[in-house]
Amino acid sequence: MRNKAAAFLSRPGVAPFLFLSPLIALIGCLILIPVTGAVVNSLFRDVTFLPQKFVFFGNYISLFSDSGFTRAAVFTLFFTIVSVFTEMGLGILLALLLNEKLPGRGFLRVAVLIPWAIPVAVSGRVWELIYNFNYGFANSFLLKTGLMNSPVNWLGTEAGAFLALVLADAWKTAPFVAIIVLAGLQTIPDELYEQASIDGAGIFQKFVYITLPVISPVIIVALLFRTIDALRVFDIIFVLTGGGPGGSTASLSMFAYERFLSGDFGGGSAVSVILFLMAMSLSLIYLKAAKLSEALK
Amino acid sequence: MKLKMFILFSVLSLLFAGCAREKHDISFNVGGAPAEISVWQEVVREFTDTTGIRVKINIQPTDSDLRRQGLVLPLAAKRAEPDVFLMDIAWIGQFAASGWLAPVEISDKARAAFFRGVIETADTYDNRLIGLPVYIDGGLLYYRKDIVKKPPDSWEELVRICVENGRQGENPCFVWQGAQYEGLVCNFLEFALANGGGIIIEGNRADINTAENREALRFMAGLIHKHKVSPPDTYTSMREEESRIAFEESGALFQRNWPYAWGIYSQEGSPVKGKTGIAPLPGFKGKKGASTLGGWHIGISAFSKNKEAALRLVEHITSYDVQKRFAIKMGWNPGREDVYDDKDVLEASPHFKQLKEVFVNASARPNVPYYTRLSSVLQKHLNAALMMKTGAEEALEAAEKEINAIIREYEK
Repeated sequence: MRNKAAAFLSRPGVAPFLFLSPLIALIGCLILIPVTGAVVNSLFRDVTFLPQKFVFFGNYISLFSDSGFTRAAVFTLFFTIVSVFTEMGLGILLALLLNEKLPGRGFLRVAVLIPWAIPVAVSGRVWELIYNFNYGFANSFLLKTGLMNSPVNWLGTEAGAFLALVLADAWKTAPFVAIIVLAGLQTIPDELYEQASIDGAGIFQKFVYITLPVISPVIIVALLFRTIDALRVFDIIFVLTGGGPGGSTASLSMFAYERFLSGDFGGGSAVSVILFLMAMSLSLIYLKAAKLSEALK
Repeated sequence: MKLKMFILFSVLSLLFAGCAREKHDISFNVGGAPAEISVWQEVVREFTDTTGIRVKINIQPTDSDLRRQGLVLPLAAKRAEPDVFLMDIAWIGQFAASGWLAPVEISDKARAAFFRGVIETADTYDNRLIGLPVYIDGGLLYYRKDIVKKPPDSWEELVRICVENGRQGENPCFVWQGAQYEGLVCNFLEFALANGGGIIIEGNRADINTAENREALRFMAGLIHKHKVSPPDTYTSMREEESRIAFEESGALFQRNWPYAWGIYSQEGSPVKGKTGIAPLPGFKGKKGASTLGGWHIGISAFSKNKEAALRLVEHITSYDVQKRFAIKMGWNPGREDVYDDKDVLEASPHFKQLKEVFVNASARPNVPYYTRLSSVLQKHLNAALMMKTGAEEALEAAEKEINAIIREYEK
């Protein structure tokens, strides 16, 4: 009896599968079932005040003919590109700075994480107090220093509101990128840089030929996290602009939330599925790019 | 040792789980600030003492979107809990059309105590009463009675008073709610009605891009850009609280807000205490003013297993005594019209006399199941017109087109 069990376990693939099975079950319950549920739901007219019926791609068709949806999709993509680009740039710069042997480095490393630790709803209110037309910090600072003559309604134009959102988001999430990249930087032994110096490499060459190749996998990870997060942006917009002015900053998540609140679960699920597909395809592109750069090395 | 701890922990958690499952006959979802919750607890305790019906209170957050979420989930899942709940007037259309609300069967005599206009437009679905107002709201004009002797009769006169007092540009004169959110629709409806317009949905068609509405919207944008009597951030940050504070701090002469601000202005330490008056909102020249109806209503779940007990709780909460106490203790505006004539109530808050007049004439927002989507379309286009990105005609035309598309989408 015992022998039989042992023989079964020693078959190739059995033991690893058994060890992994709790995790597979967990992922199945927490991710696979809800995602499948959303996909199935998105094919139905599932509105609380109407009889349920199968509509196939009906929800998707009405989404794409809804100008509010296409506008939200374009905004979300644009916001993702601009904010992730800004955050990655700032984060990598911050990481390089924190990796230097500065005085008080330990303190700085902790301090830089503070924005990341503040809940978005709170930091959103703080930014609101900065941008506010009447008593905001930005206006009072610029007026007092004489850099401006009259107050500016920062959130009053589409471009202004967009940039204000990107800035608030970048302030909060650049530290996250910085900490991940910093972890990558610390795996580079000092000897590598010393050798490069002996060979006559300058700062820029050291960065391109040593630092960048070593931290690129970490960068991909940070990029992945940030992109997925930025695609589902909700709270900072909800607090700061409420989707305004003139509906110019409504994101796909806000669009889905509104459908959900109005009792249209089918339409809401369809928006979520589209968001999921966007996130997945971007992730695949990143992973492909990472593999490609690996192969080129 | 570890095993012992584990056993101890399991036994303890079982014990506590047992305690938590106290028996109750019905459950009641209610949200609000801590002071409000304690009033609800007191009212419910009395109810249990007199009737023997045990009520479990599910405390909900203050935020109204979160409260709505906490109701939509169990109701869409047809759960028996909660039996009774409070809902914002703007949700009733959706809740009723979804079949989530049980009829509230009270006698015609009991019905007559409530504001007729309110229960006919907001609480009636398929000719049946499906809710009752617990407290109601309506837009009011607040004015600085130390500077303005008589509240304006028309919107044109309001602008004239502002200009005469030199309150333009840097010194805002009139604050209202123009940010992209539900409050903007309420404000727009008031200006539109005051000009003989409105948000009309009839026979599966929306009628919004009318001459009266265009004129009203143009006037709203003009308050900011042309007359410059309303601050430039009206369309970005002005919600209820921002307006309430601006009226206190900036020296503005007029404000459109809900009745709640009155309580805050009456408190010791408010810069406008004793200097503020309230009046019905003005109309456009030669026309009658209008006020948008807001407030919270009580309903019984269609999935409740104890509808009889639930109805008795509803009757208790909307009873004369409880509503009178709400008015005196909390300053809430009762859903019952008869309480406004009560001597004690009028003594505690003399302004109830004016409020009654406003509420009798207040108008509900369209009571349609897809109201949330209709409102969000309106919010974005109205806001675009206020920022002068689009003209009033373009905004209303686009809104009407999108709303008609929503109506078609949800046709049976």
